[in-house]
Amino acid sequence: MSSSLSSTINDQRVFKYLLIAPAVFIILLIGLYPLIKLVVGSFQNISMFDNDLSYQGFVNYARLFGDERLWESLLHTVAFTAVALPIELVLGYLLALLFLEKLPFKQTFVAIILLPTVISPIVAGSTWRLMFDQRFGPINQVIGWLAGGDVKLLWTVDPMLVWPAILVAEVWQWTPFMFLLLLAALSNVDKEQLEAAQIDGASWFMTFRRIVLPAIMPVMFIAVLIRALDLFRVFDVIWTMTQGGPGTFTETISIYAYQMAFREFEISYSSAIAFLVIIILTVAVIWALRRVELAR
Amino acid sequence: MVVTHLTRRALMAASASILALSMTSVASAQSAAERAVEAAKQYSGITLNVFYEAGLQPLDPKNFTGPMWEELTGIKINVIESPISEMFTKTIQAHRAGSGAYDVLNVIPSQMPDMVQAGAIIQLDELVAKYGFADELQKIAPVYRDNQMKVDGKIYGFPDDGDVLIMYYRKDLFEDPANMEEFKAKHGYDLAPPKTWKEFAEIGQFLTDKFAPEIYGAGTLHAPGNAQFLFQERFRVEGGKFFDAETMKATVNSDVGVKVFTDMVANTKFMPPGVEQWGFIEPFNGFLAGNLAMTVSWPPVGRWAAGYGKGTEALNWIPETKVADKIGYALPPGGRPQLAAGFSLAVASGSKHQEAAYLFIQWMNSEEISLKRVQLPYALRDPFRSSHFESEEYRNRWPSATEYLDTLKMGAETGLLDLSLIQIDRYEEGMRQSLSRLWAGEDPKTILDDLASQWDALTERIGVDKQKAVYLDWSSKPNAYPN
Repeated sequence: MSSSLSSTINDQRVFKYLLIAPAVFIILLIGLYPLIKLVVGSFQNISMFDNDLSYQGFVNYARLFGDERLWESLLHTVAFTAVALPIELVLGYLLALLFLEKLPFKQTFVAIILLPTVISPIVAGSTWRLMFDQRFGPINQVIGWLAGGDVKLLWTVDPMLVWPAILVAEVWQWTPFMFLLLLAALSNVDKEQLEAAQIDGASWFMTFRRIVLPAIMPVMFIAVLIRALDLFRVFDVIWTMTQGGPGTFTETISIYAYQMAFREFEISYSSAIAFLVIIILTVAVIWALRRVELAR
Repeated sequence: MVVTHLTRRALMAASASILALSMTSVASAQSAAERAVEAAKQYSGITLNVFYEAGLQPLDPKNFTGPMWEELTGIKINVIESPISEMFTKTIQAHRAGSGAYDVLNVIPSQMPDMVQAGAIIQLDELVAKYGFADELQKIAPVYRDNQMKVDGKIYGFPDDGDVLIMYYRKDLFEDPANMEEFKAKHGYDLAPPKTWKEFAEIGQFLTDKFAPEIYGAGTLHAPGNAQFLFQERFRVEGGKFFDAETMKATVNSDVGVKVFTDMVANTKFMPPGVEQWGFIEPFNGFLAGNLAMTVSWPPVGRWAAGYGKGTEALNWIPETKVADKIGYALPPGGRPQLAAGFSLAVASGSKHQEAAYLFIQWMNSEEISLKRVQLPYALRDPFRSSHFESEEYRNRWPSATEYLDTLKMGAETGLLDLSLIQIDRYEEGMRQSLSRLWAGEDPKTILDDLASQWDALTERIGVDKQKAVYLDWSSKPNAYPN
């Protein structure tokens, strides 16, 4: 390679880097600065009355280990994610299968099914709170008609009922999201392969396992990842329905972090909590991505 | 904009009278309101951001005082609203961010020490002296004046809302000869507004047994944010103390605490199904509909149930009262009602117009303007000045207004202060969580033991000596504990 050609290529590279530099800088500024600020804050002592910016060591991180309420809220979060995610996935898949066939007014029905996802979670939570109201809520009314008498189910008070109530609201709102992505993925499954499998007499399960699942896996993985991250950070629906109650029975990690940061103004401690969440989610995402890579 | 005929008349009359007064008098004969108006004219053209609880509260500055103040001084009033549960958070956030978002603040008195310590509100003594407001401040009912105005002997806010939990009951049921006879035969004493919580339970059960499901003996506030006030009241009336004054260890889990918690759960048995979820609205609606024989709530319930404000557009959401001529007013059992929140007007330290903001709150809080404000049909501001309780105009607003105001006045004398400590919201949060666990069916003793541990840990973190000094100061006030 002549030196003039090499110089031209180098110039082009530099020029490309220069072109993307502003975008990279803005992304770093938006994404990295709050993270740095968060980490720095977690090593300080900022609270309602103290604005101590001096280095405090790992005091806030040490506090995490002895904070039972934190681990309890983390357990709630993980358990809720573990229950809600498969339900949303299965329901979303079944709905998508249903809409895979040609149906009259299919597009209209799809649009209607998608409506919950465009509603603000705060509004959805408030609506479900009213739906579950003991006295005026339609849910108790319907159960009452079916049971043939008045029912006094305290959906947002009784510990036996409060998680199922939240689960219903969450699943109602976000199953359509799964549905939409899986419908798109299923639409792209090679029909010739499906027909061939059918001719060869493959069972439904074998067809799903060998043809459908590999085909929809990339999209399904993205859908599951997005929903898992959302569920791990769930706040709005629970806040509007129970505010984490009764007691701290439905308190998730996001609600606890909010309480610490904006109710109790433990800014540094809540920064430590937030950083803990970031670490957990980063590890989980890396693990999931590696699993997918291995599966490929 | 929602302005009723009554409000328009009041607005025009008040503006006219104050304009006339401000034109004719200059210095010596001026009232505090007039002085505020005169001094505020130099700030004409600015806008004051006023922070209010969302809902009906801001209709006063939006529809009444705001327009009047602008007409008198040229200063615009911009109202910023927030749910009451978020007000403290937003005030502190704005202060910490140095945003200067608010000029005038509504501060819940029990949170005032925290606001002062955080530096979010300014001391007002110099401005009070400068604009001659001290005399009028002295005319605020003592329980509010002495407890909701100062921190460490310095003025930080003007008590502006006579909140107190009053009992409302159905006179027709209590004075019915058959009910009276049956009740006396069963319990051996006269059917009358209960003087103790034991009587409350007996009367409530008696009326529920006789009239439910049409009428229940009682229905009260149970949503944790509201019920914590009732707990604070009952706990102290029954002889409870929140802390050991020597060690500052929480004693909320004492036998008294457990008894009160147990009784509160037992009381739900004679209340309507689902009462565990009731906030402010449900008992209010139930009482107006004639479904409750007794309820305990804030003063607006008493006047709206009597039909005051009927026809006002802002109150169209209130159901037709069926008890207007049947309502009786009394102090709740124990005779020491909880003052339950309230508001003091304060000036934000981040305000760029502190003096103008001060003048606005002096004017609002003054004798003549505040009397009009507490009579606004849609207002949630309750009488808090001696002159409000004695006002002939107010006493003639509806047939039982005299009895209503006399009861509020008694409440303003005997009312129990909300617990006030450093970071009180965190202690209250513990109470709120405990009550939600109580309604969920957990064991009272376990809940209160957890609450005590939580409070102790909090006190340790804040500093035992620091918190003890604040507690001793609070508990030394005559209205902190009944005895």
